Amino acid sequence: MATTTASITLSSSDLLSDDMSLSSSMQLYQNGTTATGLDEMRYHRLVVPTGTNFDLIQDSTALSEDASYVYIVNKNTDVTDYIKISINSEEIGRLYAGDWLFMPWDNDLTDEQSVSDQTGNDSTIEIQAFTHEHIIEFALFHNGETLQTAADS
Amino acid sequence: MATTTATITIASADIADNNFSVSNTSTLYTAGTDTSISETTGLGRKKFATDGNVVLLDGGLTSGIAADVTADKSAKVYIKNINSRGDGTKYVNILLAAVEIGRLYGGDWMFIPWCAASGKDIEFTASDATETTLEYTCFYE
Repeated sequence: MATTTASITLSSSDLLSDDMSLSSSMQLYQNGTTATGLDEMRYHRLVVPTGTNFDLIQDSTALSEDASYVYIVNKNTDVTDYIKISINSEEIGRLYAGDWLFMPWDNDLTDEQSVSDQTGNDSTIEIQAFTHEHIIEFALFHNGETLQTAADS
Repeated sequence: MATTTATITIASADIADNNFSVSNTSTLYTAGTDTSISETTGLGRKKFATDGNVVLLDGGLTSGIAADVTADKSAKVYIKNINSRGDGTKYVNILLAAVEIGRLYGGDWMFIPWCAASGKDIEFTASDATETTLEYTCFYE
Protein backbone atom coordinates (compact mmCIF):
# COMPACT_ATOMS: atom_id res chain seq x y z
CA MET A 1 0.00 0.00 0.00
CA ALA A 2 1.46 3.28 -1.09
CA THR A 3 0.98 6.65 0.52
CA THR A 4 0.49 9.42 -2.00
CA THR A 5 -0.44 12.95 -1.03
CA ALA A 6 -1.87 15.67 -3.26
CA SER A 7 -1.76 19.22 -1.93
CA ILE A 8 -3.08 22.47 -3.31
CA THR A 9 -2.57 26.08 -2.33
CA LEU A 10 -4.60 28.89 -3.87
CA SER A 11 -3.33 32.30 -2.88
CA SER A 12 -3.50 35.94 -3.76
CA SER A 13 -2.54 39.08 -1.93
CA ASP A 14 -4.58 41.42 -4.11
CA LEU A 15 -7.52 39.60 -5.73
CA LEU A 16 -9.72 40.54 -2.78
CA SER A 17 -9.54 43.38 -0.29
CA ASP A 18 -7.56 41.12 2.02
CA ASP A 19 -5.11 38.28 1.57
CA MET A 20 -6.60 35.05 0.29
CA SER A 21 -4.98 31.72 0.99
CA LEU A 22 -6.58 28.32 0.78
CA SER A 23 -4.72 25.07 1.25
CA SER A 24 -5.85 21.48 1.23
CA SER A 25 -4.15 18.13 1.31
CA MET A 26 -5.55 14.69 0.55
CA GLN A 27 -4.37 11.11 0.54
CA LEU A 28 -5.13 9.08 -2.58
CA TYR A 29 -7.08 6.13 -1.18
CA GLN A 30 -8.74 3.18 -2.85
CA ASN A 31 -12.51 3.08 -3.20
CA GLY A 32 -14.31 1.73 -0.13
CA THR A 33 -11.32 1.96 2.18
CA THR A 34 -10.41 4.31 4.97
CA ALA A 35 -6.64 4.24 4.68
CA THR A 36 -5.54 1.96 1.86
CA GLY A 37 -3.62 3.98 -0.67
CA LEU A 38 -3.72 3.66 -4.43
CA ASP A 39 -0.59 1.79 -5.41
CA GLU A 40 -0.55 2.03 -9.20
CA MET A 41 0.25 4.99 -11.40
CA ARG A 42 1.56 6.08 -14.76
CA TYR A 43 3.28 9.29 -15.68
CA HIS A 44 3.75 10.55 -19.22
CA ARG A 45 5.34 13.46 -21.01
CA LEU A 46 4.39 13.88 -24.63
CA VAL A 47 3.96 16.24 -27.53
CA VAL A 48 0.41 16.85 -28.74
CA PRO A 49 0.16 18.10 -32.33
CA THR A 50 -2.57 20.52 -33.34
CA GLY A 51 -5.65 19.76 -35.36
CA THR A 52 -6.94 16.52 -33.87
CA ASN A 53 -8.84 15.58 -30.75
CA PHE A 54 -6.83 12.70 -29.26
CA ASP A 55 -7.58 10.13 -26.61
CA LEU A 56 -5.28 10.88 -23.71
CA ILE A 57 -6.39 8.39 -21.06
CA GLN A 58 -8.60 5.58 -22.24
CA ASP A 59 -11.18 4.02 -20.02
CA SER A 60 -11.05 0.38 -19.09
CA THR A 61 -13.25 -1.97 -17.15
CA ALA A 62 -10.93 -2.10 -14.16
CA LEU A 63 -11.10 1.66 -13.78
CA SER A 64 -14.87 1.57 -13.45
CA GLU A 65 -16.66 2.52 -10.23
CA ASP A 66 -13.42 3.22 -8.46
CA ALA A 67 -11.21 6.01 -7.18
CA SER A 68 -8.76 7.26 -9.78
CA TYR A 69 -7.13 10.66 -10.03
CA VAL A 70 -5.78 12.53 -13.03
CA TYR A 71 -3.18 15.29 -13.16
CA ILE A 72 -2.45 17.18 -16.39
CA VAL A 73 -0.11 20.14 -16.88
CA ASN A 74 0.41 22.22 -20.01
CA LYS A 75 4.17 22.85 -20.26
CA ASN A 76 4.02 25.36 -23.12
CA THR A 77 5.10 28.93 -22.36
CA ASP A 78 3.35 31.03 -25.02
CA VAL A 79 0.34 32.51 -23.22
CA THR A 80 -1.86 32.15 -26.31
CA ASP A 81 -1.38 28.39 -26.42
CA TYR A 82 -4.06 26.19 -24.97
CA ILE A 83 -5.38 22.66 -24.95
CA LYS A 84 -8.97 21.55 -24.57
CA ILE A 85 -9.64 18.75 -22.12
CA SER A 86 -12.82 16.76 -22.68
CA ILE A 87 -14.53 13.67 -21.33
CA ASN A 88 -17.05 11.75 -23.41
CA SER A 89 -17.09 14.62 -25.92
CA GLU A 90 -18.02 17.12 -23.20
CA GLU A 91 -15.42 19.85 -22.94
CA ILE A 92 -14.28 20.33 -19.37
CA GLY A 93 -12.21 23.40 -20.12
CA ARG A 94 -9.02 24.89 -21.45
CA LEU A 95 -5.56 24.60 -19.98
CA TYR A 96 -3.49 27.56 -21.09
CA ALA A 97 0.29 27.57 -20.99
CA GLY A 98 1.44 26.69 -17.49
CA ASP A 99 -2.01 25.65 -16.28
CA TRP A 100 -2.65 22.33 -14.57
CA LEU A 101 -5.64 20.33 -13.41
CA PHE A 102 -6.17 17.65 -10.82
CA MET A 103 -9.44 15.77 -10.67
CA PRO A 104 -11.01 12.47 -9.78
CA TRP A 105 -11.89 10.21 -12.67
CA ASP A 106 -14.34 7.36 -12.87
CA ASN A 107 -15.24 5.23 -15.83
CA ASP A 108 -18.94 5.37 -15.06
CA LEU A 109 -20.38 4.32 -18.38
CA THR A 110 -20.62 1.03 -20.20
CA ASP A 111 -18.77 1.42 -23.47
CA GLU A 112 -15.30 0.58 -22.23
CA GLN A 113 -12.48 -0.12 -24.58
CA SER A 114 -11.85 -3.83 -24.97
CA VAL A 115 -10.30 -6.26 -27.37
CA SER A 116 -13.58 -6.47 -29.24
CA ASP A 117 -14.30 -2.75 -29.00
CA GLN A 118 -11.20 -0.66 -29.53
CA THR A 119 -13.33 2.42 -30.01
CA GLY A 120 -15.01 2.31 -26.61
CA ASN A 121 -14.65 5.83 -25.40
CA ASP A 122 -17.44 6.76 -23.03
CA SER A 123 -15.23 8.08 -20.28
CA THR A 124 -12.01 8.54 -22.15
CA ILE A 125 -10.21 11.77 -21.36
CA GLU A 126 -9.50 13.59 -24.58
CA ILE A 127 -7.12 16.38 -25.52
CA GLN A 128 -6.82 18.80 -28.41
CA ALA A 129 -4.06 21.33 -28.93
CA PHE A 130 -4.58 24.77 -30.44
CA THR A 131 -2.24 27.36 -31.96
CA HIS A 132 0.92 25.23 -31.55
CA GLU A 133 1.90 21.71 -30.68
CA HIS A 134 1.92 21.25 -26.92
CA ILE A 135 4.17 19.55 -24.45
CA ILE A 136 2.09 18.10 -21.69
CA GLU A 137 2.70 15.90 -18.73
CA PHE A 138 0.00 13.82 -17.14
CA ALA A 139 -0.38 11.27 -14.40
CA LEU A 140 -3.03 8.70 -13.60
CA PHE A 141 -3.21 7.26 -10.10
CA HIS A 142 -5.44 4.20 -10.01
CA ASN A 143 -6.29 0.83 -8.58
CA GLY A 144 -5.63 -1.34 -11.61
CA GLU A 145 -6.17 -1.18 -15.33
CA THR A 146 -7.51 -3.75 -17.76
CA LEU A 147 -4.58 -4.63 -19.97
CA GLN A 148 -5.39 -5.11 -23.61
CA THR A 149 -4.50 -8.40 -25.20
CA ALA A 150 -1.88 -7.90 -27.87
CA ALA A 151 -3.38 -7.96 -31.34
CA ASP A 152 -0.81 -10.51 -32.48
CA SER A 153 -1.02 -12.78 -29.46
CA MET B 1 -3.86 43.75 -11.63
CA ALA B 2 -4.35 40.93 -9.19
CA THR B 3 -2.06 37.95 -9.02
CA THR B 4 -3.56 34.63 -8.05
CA THR B 5 -1.55 31.44 -8.02
CA ALA B 6 -2.48 27.79 -7.80
CA THR B 7 0.19 25.39 -6.59
CA ILE B 8 -0.03 21.62 -6.60
CA THR B 9 2.32 19.08 -5.11
CA ILE B 10 1.85 15.35 -5.54
CA ALA B 11 4.30 13.24 -3.59
CA SER B 12 4.84 9.67 -2.59
CA ALA B 13 7.78 7.88 -1.06
CA ASP B 14 6.56 4.41 -1.94
CA ILE B 15 4.32 4.32 -5.01
CA ALA B 16 7.41 3.66 -7.11
CA ASP B 17 10.89 2.30 -6.60
CA ASN B 18 12.14 5.81 -5.92
CA ASN B 19 10.49 8.86 -4.43
CA PHE B 20 7.92 10.43 -6.71
CA SER B 21 7.22 14.13 -6.48
CA VAL B 22 5.83 16.66 -8.90
CA SER B 23 5.04 20.27 -8.18
CA ASN B 24 3.73 23.11 -10.31
CA THR B 25 2.55 26.65 -9.76
CA SER B 26 0.34 28.39 -12.27
CA THR B 27 -0.69 32.00 -12.29
CA LEU B 28 -4.34 32.38 -13.22
CA TYR B 29 -4.41 34.48 -16.37
CA THR B 30 -7.27 35.51 -18.60
CA ALA B 31 -7.53 33.58 -21.85
CA GLY B 32 -4.51 34.01 -24.10
CA THR B 33 -2.92 36.82 -22.09
CA ASP B 34 -0.57 37.41 -19.20
CA THR B 35 -3.21 39.54 -17.52
CA SER B 36 -4.33 37.98 -14.29
CA ILE B 37 -7.87 36.86 -13.61
CA SER B 38 -9.50 39.48 -11.43
CA GLU B 39 -12.87 38.01 -10.51
CA THR B 40 -14.04 35.21 -8.27
CA THR B 41 -17.29 33.88 -6.89
CA GLY B 42 -15.57 33.80 -3.52
CA LEU B 43 -15.34 30.69 -1.45
CA GLY B 44 -18.70 28.99 -0.96
CA ARG B 45 -19.63 26.36 1.58
CA LYS B 46 -22.89 24.49 1.18
CA LYS B 47 -24.59 21.58 2.93
CA PHE B 48 -26.81 19.19 1.01
CA ALA B 49 -28.88 16.25 2.16
CA THR B 50 -30.04 14.60 -1.03
CA ASP B 51 -28.96 11.83 -3.33
CA GLY B 52 -30.54 13.65 -6.25
CA ASN B 53 -28.67 15.57 -8.91
CA VAL B 54 -27.73 19.12 -7.87
CA VAL B 55 -26.36 21.94 -10.01
CA LEU B 56 -23.38 23.53 -8.29
CA LEU B 57 -22.29 25.97 -11.01
CA ASP B 58 -24.75 26.69 -13.77
CA GLY B 59 -23.08 27.39 -17.11
CA GLY B 60 -24.69 29.79 -19.54
CA LEU B 61 -27.05 31.52 -17.15
CA THR B 62 -28.33 34.92 -18.19
CA SER B 63 -28.38 36.35 -14.69
CA GLY B 64 -26.70 35.88 -11.35
CA ILE B 65 -23.06 35.27 -10.53
CA ALA B 66 -22.63 32.37 -12.96
CA ALA B 67 -23.74 34.62 -15.82
CA ASP B 68 -20.54 36.57 -15.33
CA VAL B 69 -18.38 33.56 -16.15
CA THR B 70 -17.58 34.05 -19.79
CA ALA B 71 -17.75 30.81 -21.72
CA ASP B 72 -14.75 29.25 -23.43
CA LYS B 73 -12.20 31.35 -21.57
CA SER B 74 -9.96 30.35 -18.69
CA ALA B 75 -12.24 29.92 -15.69
CA LYS B 76 -10.98 27.62 -12.94
CA VAL B 77 -13.03 25.75 -10.38
CA TYR B 78 -12.00 24.31 -7.02
CA ILE B 79 -14.27 21.87 -5.18
CA LYS B 80 -13.65 20.04 -1.94
CA ASN B 81 -15.77 17.43 -0.18
CA ILE B 82 -15.56 18.52 3.43
CA ASN B 83 -17.10 15.36 4.87
CA SER B 84 -14.96 12.92 6.76
CA ARG B 85 -13.94 9.87 4.83
CA GLY B 86 -16.11 7.68 7.04
CA ASP B 87 -15.94 4.05 5.99
CA GLY B 88 -14.70 5.04 2.54
CA THR B 89 -17.92 4.22 0.70
CA LYS B 90 -19.56 7.65 0.72
CA TYR B 91 -18.68 10.01 -2.06
CA VAL B 92 -19.98 12.72 -4.33
CA ASN B 93 -20.08 12.14 -8.07
CA ILE B 94 -18.98 15.27 -9.89
CA LEU B 95 -20.57 15.68 -13.31
CA LEU B 96 -20.13 17.99 -16.26
CA ALA B 97 -23.61 18.31 -17.74
CA ALA B 98 -24.73 14.66 -17.59
CA VAL B 99 -21.28 13.13 -17.84
CA GLU B 100 -19.62 11.90 -14.68
CA ILE B 101 -16.09 13.14 -14.19
CA GLY B 102 -15.26 11.28 -11.02
CA ARG B 103 -15.83 10.76 -7.33
CA LEU B 104 -14.82 13.06 -4.53
CA TYR B 105 -14.62 11.05 -1.34
CA GLY B 106 -14.57 12.77 2.04
CA GLY B 107 -11.55 15.06 2.18
CA ASP B 108 -10.90 14.97 -1.57
CA TRP B 109 -10.51 18.12 -3.66
CA MET B 110 -10.29 18.93 -7.37
CA PHE B 111 -9.13 21.90 -9.43
CA ILE B 112 -10.14 22.05 -13.09
CA PRO B 113 -10.61 24.52 -15.90
CA TRP B 114 -14.27 25.12 -16.75
CA CYS B 115 -15.57 25.98 -20.20
CA ALA B 116 -18.76 27.42 -18.61
CA ALA B 117 -20.72 27.24 -21.85
CA SER B 118 -24.47 26.96 -21.91
CA GLY B 119 -25.54 23.60 -20.53
CA LYS B 120 -22.05 22.76 -19.27
CA ASP B 121 -23.13 22.86 -15.66
CA ILE B 122 -20.97 21.45 -12.93
CA GLU B 123 -23.25 19.16 -11.01
CA PHE B 124 -22.97 16.56 -8.32
CA THR B 125 -24.84 13.54 -7.03
CA ALA B 126 -24.11 12.21 -3.57
CA SER B 127 -23.92 8.48 -3.05
CA ASP B 128 -26.61 8.71 -0.38
CA ALA B 129 -28.89 11.30 1.16
CA THR B 130 -26.96 11.89 4.36
CA GLU B 131 -25.58 15.37 4.76
CA THR B 132 -22.71 16.36 2.49
CA THR B 133 -20.76 19.59 2.76
CA LEU B 134 -18.89 21.00 -0.21
CA GLU B 135 -16.62 24.00 -0.47
CA TYR B 136 -16.13 25.54 -3.88
CA THR B 137 -14.88 28.60 -5.66
CA CYS B 138 -14.58 29.77 -9.24
CA PHE B 139 -12.01 32.18 -10.67
CA TYR B 140 -13.11 33.71 -13.95
CA GLU B 141 -13.02 36.57 -16.38
